[in-house]
Amino acid sequence: MEREKVTTLYLGPQHPGITGNMMVRLKLKGDTIVGARTEVGYLHRGFEKLQEKRNWLQSFTILCRFCVPEPDPVEEAYALAVELLEGREVPERAKYIRVLVLELARMASYLLWFGGQSGSAGLYTMGQWSVGDRNYILDLFEDITGGRVYHMFIWPGGVRRDLPKGFKDKAMKVMDYFEKRLEEYDTLMFENSIFQKRAQGVGIIDKEKAVEWGVVGPVLRGCGIKSDIRIDDPYEIYGELYEKGVFEVPAFEGGDVWSRALVRRFEIRQSINIIRYVLDNIPDGEFYNKIPNPHKWKIAKGDAYSRVEATRGEVGFFVASDGSQYPRRTHFRGAAYVHAITLLENVLIGANVADVSFIMNSLGTCPPEIER
Amino acid sequence: MEEIKNKIYQRLTEAFPEITEHKLDFPYNRLDVKIPKNKVPAILFYLKDEMGFKHLVHITCVDWIEEEKFELIFIVWSPKEKVKVFVRTELDRNNPVMDNIDMIWRQANTYERELREMFGIQFEGLVAPKEFILEDWDDIPPMRRDFDTEAYAKKRFFERPGREDAKDVRQTIAERTGESLPDFAKKYSR
Amino acid sequence: MVNDKNSQKIVDIIQNFARKHSLFVLAYGTGCGAIEIPPTMTSRYDAERFGIRGAATPRQADVLLITGYLTTKTLKRVIRVYEQMQDPKYVIGFGSCTINGGMYWDSYNTIKVLDKYLPVDIYINGCMPRPEAVIEGFIKLQKKIAEGRADGAKQYKENFEWYRANQKKVLGPTTPHIQEYNW
Repeated sequence: MEREKVTTLYLGPQHPGITGNMMVRLKLKGDTIVGARTEVGYLHRGFEKLQEKRNWLQSFTILCRFCVPEPDPVEEAYALAVELLEGREVPERAKYIRVLVLELARMASYLLWFGGQSGSAGLYTMGQWSVGDRNYILDLFEDITGGRVYHMFIWPGGVRRDLPKGFKDKAMKVMDYFEKRLEEYDTLMFENSIFQKRAQGVGIIDKEKAVEWGVVGPVLRGCGIKSDIRIDDPYEIYGELYEKGVFEVPAFEGGDVWSRALVRRFEIRQSINIIRYVLDNIPDGEFYNKIPNPHKWKIAKGDAYSRVEATRGEVGFFVASDGSQYPRRTHFRGAAYVHAITLLENVLIGANVADVSFIMNSLGTCPPEIER
Repeated sequence: MEEIKNKIYQRLTEAFPEITEHKLDFPYNRLDVKIPKNKVPAILFYLKDEMGFKHLVHITCVDWIEEEKFELIFIVWSPKEKVKVFVRTELDRNNPVMDNIDMIWRQANTYERELREMFGIQFEGLVAPKEFILEDWDDIPPMRRDFDTEAYAKKRFFERPGREDAKDVRQTIAERTGESLPDFAKKYSR
Repeated sequence: MVNDKNSQKIVDIIQNFARKHSLFVLAYGTGCGAIEIPPTMTSRYDAERFGIRGAATPRQADVLLITGYLTTKTLKRVIRVYEQMQDPKYVIGFGSCTINGGMYWDSYNTIKVLDKYLPVDIYINGCMPRPEAVIEGFIKLQKKIAEGRADGAKQYKENFEWYRANQKKVLGPTTPHIQEYNW
């Protein structure tokens, strides 16, 4: 009579297959996972405590390091929260420039995600292509903001600088290049029969319980529910863009890794449409609603919460003020906060040990935004 | 939007007459209610099951040290009506105890673990390992207002001493190696 | 082996030439700076033409690239990883957080000066350093190896008690507990 033993495996912080520094404690019976516990905390810096000593304008400079692959939605969430709290208006040109920067950041993050997802399945060529192409978008960022990765560009009241001359032609050339490249990515990754066999039927999330478990973003759209903060709770000019038909929100049934990959692939196409529309129709005007005396800027007592759609899902920023120059409490909530701890521990049960990093990548775990 | 918010508020006050304060006049889709802490699980169950607020957005806490209280805020969202409700409650700062709401939404487990570690709030009935983010922590919970982070960092970690003079770095290095500054650096140096 | 100085010099030159042209970097991104490593390794700023590529485990790696800040929880694991790597090994400190704490200078969880806990050979400053700066840092490391001055591992072995005492001061009683270091 055979008795099966339960083995414990520590998939620790130094592992070439896991995104970021996280540890997962797995209990295995043979090759199948029967239990999982995550452990986070390797990247905790105490940002919210640091922000208590920096005034309202100084604390915007350290925010971009909250979420490493895409820093712009965090700056946008902070700017929206402070503007809601104080009641400050933003000029039209600034809104269009903000949407342009956000959509470029979305494209750059999706291209990095392609490399991670196909690399965990064994297809390393895709990572070389997409990360190499991402450099063109980082060049555009360097023209607008001055930095490749961390921008510090969107602040409460507008944006910091205007667009440079000749930017529109450069950006249109990059968009034409990407439309051709997307077909080549399809041939390599999405029509690849090995990738399809590995991705279909793996990491399934139940559609009835998805909203209750706190699932947001592309993971929820991969379960068949069409929900996006850009259309549910619109901010900036996204409401008008959706009604004019500039972009739409794709949703696929299935709930497994394959449908989530399809959702992300179709959203790159929508981002290209939005960028083309914004560059053609940007109005003239001011780009910054100037704060009278930035280092003595006081905000009245109250609190506000703002929500932004990032590539991983819903990102939120809570700001509370007590009438002085320093924020009383800021609290950031990333999309991976729910996906990577309680959802992951449930989805991994019953999966094969070779699929652990594949599923983690498709749920969008990013440890810097879990523990800030 | 105003009618929807008024209707929601009326249903809530009929079911829960213990609501002490409310605020409905935000210019966007938000409404606030304040309730004593022993009624919080009941109002959250009612909002989730009977009124369709199925998505838990956030649980957060603000430390008002001058008035000796913690203020807990639960934010819930309804995908159908597109309205946010902020449920607020107060805890005593010297003995912060709260009920566990793990059984309503399972992701509340993560939020409660973090509040327990960062503020010291005890949730009755919470089943989770003791440490979440910090390891071998031996001081007071770090997000409270009376914890001074700079003094703690100076006490525990080594520091690199700063520069002795306030001159431009390029000038100091040029003098040390015996070279002269290039012209473009002279124009912008202090 | 003939034991005179000239042939020892020739053997050193050939050894250092081979070592500097095949540096395997451990795949461990300890902080923010890990976002600029994939662009360095792919087609535009190709680092593989210098012989730099990634390695999966500490036993197969030569270079430990500490990209950014280190929290106390990660420092414990990084010390174990460093002691598992085999000679000759080098440490590169990446970003301004390894130099003096960077922008987290008053945080309660990150260490400020890396040099007291691990021997660092080369620092690359910036926040983030560009891929061109990363490649320049590696070329400086190659020059240091060719001159025979990259002896961080030897310093760690000789001053082991001093490093261990510093690590114990920060990490408390749960420091990795290898008492002697003579392997």
